[in-house]
Amino acid sequence: MTRNLEDESVASQEPESSVRERPPQVIEVAPQVLRHRTRRDVLLFGAGAVAALVGGGSLLPERTLKRMGVIQGNKNWPKTEWLLNRSLRFDDDVAEALYSRNRLVPTYAKSQITPLRNNYNGATPDPSYIPEWRLTLDGLASGLSVSLDIRNLLGSFQVHDQITRLVCVEGWSAIAWWAGLKFDDVLRAYPPMAQAKWARVDSSVNLGPRGNPDPYFMSIDLPTARHPQTLLATHFNGRPLTVYHGAPLRLLVPVKLGLKNVKAITRITYTAERPKDFWAERGYSYYDGI
Amino acid sequence: MIRSIHLGEVIATRMPEERAGVRVVRRHQLLVRWSHWLNVPIILGLVLSGVSIYWASPVYQHKPDPVTGNVDPLADIGIWICAHVPGLHKYSNPSDWVYNHVSLGPGMLAVALRLHWLGAYLFMLNGLVFTLGLAVGGGWRALLPRRTDPRDALRMFRYYVGLPLARLRRHPWLHPRFNTKYNALQRVAYCSVPVAGLLSVVTGWAIHKPMQLSWLTGIAGGYDNARIWHFWLMWVFILFVVPHVMLVLVDGWDTLRSMIVGWSTRAQRLEDL
Repeated sequence: MTRNLEDESVASQEPESSVRERPPQVIEVAPQVLRHRTRRDVLLFGAGAVAALVGGGSLLPERTLKRMGVIQGNKNWPKTEWLLNRSLRFDDDVAEALYSRNRLVPTYAKSQITPLRNNYNGATPDPSYIPEWRLTLDGLASGLSVSLDIRNLLGSFQVHDQITRLVCVEGWSAIAWWAGLKFDDVLRAYPPMAQAKWARVDSSVNLGPRGNPDPYFMSIDLPTARHPQTLLATHFNGRPLTVYHGAPLRLLVPVKLGLKNVKAITRITYTAERPKDFWAERGYSYYDGI
Repeated sequence: MIRSIHLGEVIATRMPEERAGVRVVRRHQLLVRWSHWLNVPIILGLVLSGVSIYWASPVYQHKPDPVTGNVDPLADIGIWICAHVPGLHKYSNPSDWVYNHVSLGPGMLAVALRLHWLGAYLFMLNGLVFTLGLAVGGGWRALLPRRTDPRDALRMFRYYVGLPLARLRRHPWLHPRFNTKYNALQRVAYCSVPVAGLLSVVTGWAIHKPMQLSWLTGIAGGYDNARIWHFWLMWVFILFVVPHVMLVLVDGWDTLRSMIVGWSTRAQRLEDL
């Protein structure tokens, strides 16, 4: 008891500070209380550890578990992708909430331009499609299908320059100089049907890994299509697009991942329902907003 | 002579006078303990999926190898390991060896991203739980750096360096005395890990939303630098965990129990000062 009194008297001489470490709280308990509590919490901890191991393990891809030897042979592993898909949708909802039509992406000076690689999934298409190339617009308010060639497009819309960063889902990025029509201008000139919420952007000339025809299709929500920096690009580095970069017209949507930036667009279809999406079918997100 | 500092305040509980009780210290608040253990699967998942994401486009690349076209030093390390470690000569994909052992595996970007988002949101939630636990239990005060830390950290460092030799020679080797919850080295570690967690979250968002949160990407030094920061912040966790686990095991059951039960029976040590 005297010890405690002595402490208090000494402690009170020092200035009291709210950030100073407090003395530890010592309590006196019966030995069996400590034993029971330890047993209870260690059992709870063990149960939690097993749950985390099973729960966490079940989230791992089948290929990883096979390599680890957890599952063997061709046994069917139950698909436990619900939580992963749910978190992907949640992340898409966050991205959509962050999006604002008025928020412009950073633009750069010409001196900051970096080399841009072509991430064509397979091979770069043969340029033979270019002479007959036309852009088809479907799902319009007029109920008609419109077909335009590159001269129609360049003749009837203003061309805008922009130097922006293209970010790939793989992690790399490049700053590139583009020019093209605003998607928004095309939407105004050829309005989509009233109930349309999406644009499906197709490239029928896309090739697969072995040079086989492999049409590419991506969905883009109309609020993003109306973003002032969303272009239907016709030029790269001040010159008409090369086949390597998606001649004669590609989608340039810097508020989305690179995989939404469809090269060599051949058709745009406005729809009320969410269209199919090449990479979402392969486990990536639908929204891809960055 | 008893020194005056930070003696425990003893709360008498209903104890029969004749039976001896155990004196215990409340060391870790409930929420701090929960978030501490939840971090184990969460950070493990984030590292495994993170390295799989890294595989898709390594931050560090060299010029393409003239034969294989490989640009990734981690693939080179795998090839070296398979060439030099006995028993691995027949490994089917030497360039994938590292990714096969410290990630979900190569070529799994889509699933790795989904796992990483799940882990990242859980990690942020868990960080809030941890912060709440520190605030409620007042434990944050024990984590704050002090002016005496550099000197005391040096003393602890000397202690750890000399300990093995002293043990071998059976010389007494006294643990430096501190009247605080943590010694200075612990404090540096336990204070910097939550900071690293916060920076991982910040750089993560800078990479994840470089357009909508471009101001944040700017703070992180731009998109490419944010990726480099994010990568090295992972190493802070790895480099922390290894000695952390080793020292807990060396320190013994009481220390491990204090993070599970919350109680430590080392009340005595504090009062012997």
